[in-house]
Amino acid sequence: MSENFIQIKGLTKRYKHAAEPAVNKLDLEIEKKTVFGLLGPNGAGKTTTISIICNQINADSGTVTIDGKDLSADRERIKRIIGVVPQDIALYPNLSAYENLKFFGNMYGLSGNSLKDRIKKNMLDFGLEHKLHKKIKTFSGGMKRRVNLIAGILHKPQILILDEPTVGIDVQSKNVILEHLKNLNKNNDTTILYTSHLMDEAEQFCTQVGIIDEGKLIAVGNPKAMIEEYKTCYKLEDIYLLLTGRSLRD
Amino acid sequence: MLLKFNASIVKESLLLLRDKAGLAMLFIMPMALVLLMTLLQDTTLKLLDERRTPIFVINYDADTFGVSVLNGLKQARFFDVHTKLNDKALTEEELRRYVLEGKFRVGIIIHKGASDALRNKIKTEIQEQFPAEEESLFEVDHDAENVLPRVDIYFDPIIKNDFKNAMTSALREFSYAVEAKMIFEIYAELIQDITDIEIKQNNGFQNIIDFREEYATERESRMVPNSVQHNVPAWTIFAMFFIVIPLAGNIIKERETGLAMRLRTMPGSNLPVILGKAFVYFIVGIFQAILMLMIGLFVLPLFGTPALIIGSGILPLFLITIAVSMAASGYGILIGTIATTQEQSSIFGSISVVILAALGGIWVPTFVMSDMMLKVSRFSPLNWALNGYYEVFLRSAGVSDVFGYIVLLILFFVFCIGLAFLYNKYKKSLS
Ligand SMILES: Nc1ncnc2c1ncn2[C@@H]1O[C@H](COP(=O)(O)OP(=O)(O)OP(=O)(O)O)[C@@H](O)[C@H]1O
Ligand SMILES: [Mg+2]
Repeated sequence: MSENFIQIKGLTKRYKHAAEPAVNKLDLEIEKKTVFGLLGPNGAGKTTTISIICNQINADSGTVTIDGKDLSADRERIKRIIGVVPQDIALYPNLSAYENLKFFGNMYGLSGNSLKDRIKKNMLDFGLEHKLHKKIKTFSGGMKRRVNLIAGILHKPQILILDEPTVGIDVQSKNVILEHLKNLNKNNDTTILYTSHLMDEAEQFCTQVGIIDEGKLIAVGNPKAMIEEYKTCYKLEDIYLLLTGRSLRD
Repeated sequence: MLLKFNASIVKESLLLLRDKAGLAMLFIMPMALVLLMTLLQDTTLKLLDERRTPIFVINYDADTFGVSVLNGLKQARFFDVHTKLNDKALTEEELRRYVLEGKFRVGIIIHKGASDALRNKIKTEIQEQFPAEEESLFEVDHDAENVLPRVDIYFDPIIKNDFKNAMTSALREFSYAVEAKMIFEIYAELIQDITDIEIKQNNGFQNIIDFREEYATERESRMVPNSVQHNVPAWTIFAMFFIVIPLAGNIIKERETGLAMRLRTMPGSNLPVILGKAFVYFIVGIFQAILMLMIGLFVLPLFGTPALIIGSGILPLFLITIAVSMAASGYGILIGTIATTQEQSSIFGSISVVILAALGGIWVPTFVMSDMMLKVSRFSPLNWALNGYYEVFLRSAGVSDVFGYIVLLILFFVFCIGLAFLYNKYKKSLS
């Protein structure tokens, strides 16, 4: 049975002093087990949308329902089933990978040997086992991204939200990350919501994509189905450019 | 809750221990401050003591009046009385010149026969009280009847009027004292003549007047500490409050690097995380205090200052230190929460601590403050802290005496943490 695991209705957010809302009456439905790609030009409102779902900022109006529970009413329960991987590396540079991950694991109520084992297993999966006790500041950009991701999945969330997880890293790192996310989706039924600018990647990786511009959702669907629908387009990028235009956004 | 609190403590401790430069600053700066300020003030106090006003006295009256006045002046702590320059007495002319040149601030000339003149004047007055007596009671020198004892005073032109007035009235009081003494002597002589009873004069009159340094205040906070007793607690408090800067910086860095945002996505209250952070800096404050007290006890005496004396037992000292460190870390959390940038927090943090320190009597002790400033100083947590330490160091206070200050400081901590917590919530809904 497929259900609308994440349901967003009329979501609106205008930052203080901003002329236009960053997210404008956005409606979005994401089914369970989907790998959903939220695509859009710079400043389209992707990070803002995600930040609201992750509890980082409050919306002005609209509702977010997750697993049948209203976000504003059931924050604590919802926080537990969400894992967040922010756009910027949010780790303590002066702590080792292990110390960072232990701290964030503790924040989710994990501790002891089970936490230790999870940290070690994930570091191994992401090819970082030899870096476990090295300080984050000595890591390369790609390594940092991977630890940044691990910090969001230690507590085995049902929903994993990632903001541009593959930005600025080499193909190898990127493949490791995408591979691992696919596994999480397949083996743990993890619903994945991720943002990207990379159309080819999204076309390959996502079961659903939504294109967002100026805070509004302008297209949504399975990428392959969309390409068939838009007769003139051979790639997702063509559809994207067709819909969002070629001018600069911010 | 406890897991989060502990995790926060572990994390902050690691971060702090790895920031060697920051850690060194936290301990070396206050050490340097307390050493420097104490030694500086100690020498200033000593200099002040040595810089008693130099005055020169020419006494031509080797009799009761002249000798009494001279001794009185010598006993007064704030005059440095000279009667000879290079083993030679000065002439009146020389003295006037030296005073004009500022070599001496005041020149006093007690003229010849001052005592006799005074005695004569008294005898005449007594005689007048017994007009019925046929024969005179005394041999009064009628030629000198209207001669008053003469004292000339020359002031250095730069001397302040206040000082002049004080000086003249002091001299006037000397002569009253001498007069009283003479009256007593004369009566005693008279009574002895009449009754043949010998009246012994005790020394009671010798010290009727003496100068004493008094702080002309009627305040409860008239505890006047010495340099060590003031500076050690004062700079300890100052240093403890200066952890506001690294602590607030730490919070802002967490915000700027997206770590605070990440923490927001995690379940449960953020309060244990904040408290864990505050706790680590609280411990730093305790170590700072211990270090500073050790300096007061063992290091400063090596430089010739008196050692710090902990009047009370250790308990009140310990409790007040805990309260001060709590207040300081709470303040750091608040500043870090409200300030938006590193620059803002370090500027606001340091300036506010300096202002609170100035108001609180850290720089200038409250006992020399005006009444207005004294009232304002009561609003500074650093003042509560300092008064708490004064109680311990100067009054050998017990726990109950410092209890009020401890409660105030802990309330300040609760207020800061509470405000920071509410502000965070408010900001989230605003951004
Ligand atoms: N904290 C903020 N305060 C004010 N305005 C903001 C803030 N964050 C984002 N904005 C504005 O809101 C709009 C949407 O920003 P958002 O970060 O959601 O875009 P995005 O789709 O994630 O862009 P990018 O692809 O560049 O990450 C932009 O116009 C941006 O300038
Ligand atoms: Mg973004």
